[in-house]
Amino acid sequence: MEFQSCFDIIGPIMVGPSSSHTAGVVSIGRFIHELLGGCPKEANIIFYDSFAQTYQGHGTDKALLGGLLGMDTDDPRIKYALELAYGQGLDYTLNFEDNCAHFEHPNTTIVTARRGENVVKVGGASLGGGLSKVFIIDGKTVDIRLSTGEDLSVIAKKYPQYRMRKVLMGDV
Amino acid sequence: MEIQSMKELIEACESEQKTIGEIMLMMEAEKSGRNKETIISMMEERLIKMKEAVDNGKKDTSAAPSGISGGDAVKMSEYERSGKSLTGDYISNAMTFSLATSESNARMGVIVATPTAGAAGILPGVLFSLHKNDGTFYKDLVMGLFTASMLGYVIANRSFISGAAGGCQAEVGSATAMAAGTIVELKGGTPKQVVHATAIAMKSLLGLVCDPVAGLVEVPCIKRNVIGTSIAFAAADLALAGVESRIPCDEVIEAMYKIGKEMPRTLRETALGGLAMTETGKRVKEELFCRKT
Ligand code: SF4
Repeated sequence: MEFQSCFDIIGPIMVGPSSSHTAGVVSIGRFIHELLGGCPKEANIIFYDSFAQTYQGHGTDKALLGGLLGMDTDDPRIKYALELAYGQGLDYTLNFEDNCAHFEHPNTTIVTARRGENVVKVGGASLGGGLSKVFIIDGKTVDIRLSTGEDLSVIAKKYPQYRMRKVLMGDV
Repeated sequence: MEIQSMKELIEACESEQKTIGEIMLMMEAEKSGRNKETIISMMEERLIKMKEAVDNGKKDTSAAPSGISGGDAVKMSEYERSGKSLTGDYISNAMTFSLATSESNARMGVIVATPTAGAAGILPGVLFSLHKNDGTFYKDLVMGLFTASMLGYVIANRSFISGAAGGCQAEVGSATAMAAGTIVELKGGTPKQVVHATAIAMKSLLGLVCDPVAGLVEVPCIKRNVIGTSIAFAAADLALAGVESRIPCDEVIEAMYKIGKEMPRTLRETALGGLAMTETGKRVKEELFCRKT
């Protein structure tokens, strides 16, 4: 039972065009933002499968960056996330692969992000309708539902071990 | 309380003497710990955003950033006002509202996913058409959103609601099925009739593949939403007339799941098959990506 609330079905309130390729991805980015306690300075993004094939049309890159910058799914600035990331000094690379070895779902991404000395590597999948799931953090399997209508900063606070982690980018 | 099937849903409605929308509200209150007033006002907020998307889209003639959609809501709206529409007021209004919403979505405007953004035009289309044509109150439309979410909840947990996972049958199919059931509940049908309408609508879209041109949620997505509203009204009319689905709704949902599982990856939102791979589809993609680089 992945879907738990009427607002997983009716909602999110979001900027288009795709709940799975745009809104759900904003949440994954935003969760990482919250884990790091702010906007990362560096991010390495891998898009798998359907994300890799269609990210341009759906603005999946803008969505993820918007989330990393701290935006919500209904933030009209998501359209301009590429420019805004540049403006905020968020340095990112985008890579594409066919299938993710850690999780079987076509809408999957793994992001390694650094803010100061904190680095996290987070795997997330967007399940549809704006609902997402984080399935791996720093190599550990987790199962964290990111549902709209919930406060992602509260969810991220439940994982302090990852928030405090200080390692070098090369370690993860 | 937990509802896992349409069968359980009908039983719950009968034993509690409640509508499907009321059961959803009850379950949400129980699960989330929020009181009913808060939940209703959260749903109202969603209805308001839907209305704004319709109102904005209805008068916006601009094209989406891709240049391949936009402006059709205005055309449809003018045609419908000319009184010449063949499908009648309910459906032609729903078509206009649905176009308006889906075009807003393509422009990266604010919409409400119902259940997804790709299928966001169908539910607002039918709801605001009911409001316009028979004066259904907004507070009833809000209850309709609970009906729709209950139906979508069962579908999503037993099958899928995203094109990447199960094809367009999971997206436009689910949204149309939800809308059909919602119309029936708002028109005073029984929970059983609601579920029959849901099944009938879903059956008519089984097997629909997800093949968006250039990977954009525009072609064929926008017009599939528009046609979805007419299927929803037709299925609702059948159910209200007392026509039943021969295959029970839970089994239809299971069939949708199995069909989705067998659908090749090329037809599940990868833009590698179907309309995306037609001559024109390929040309659009090339032109777009040339322009970007
Ligand atoms: S074709 Fe695919 S992207 Fe378009 S509405 Fe259907 S499921 Fe969504």
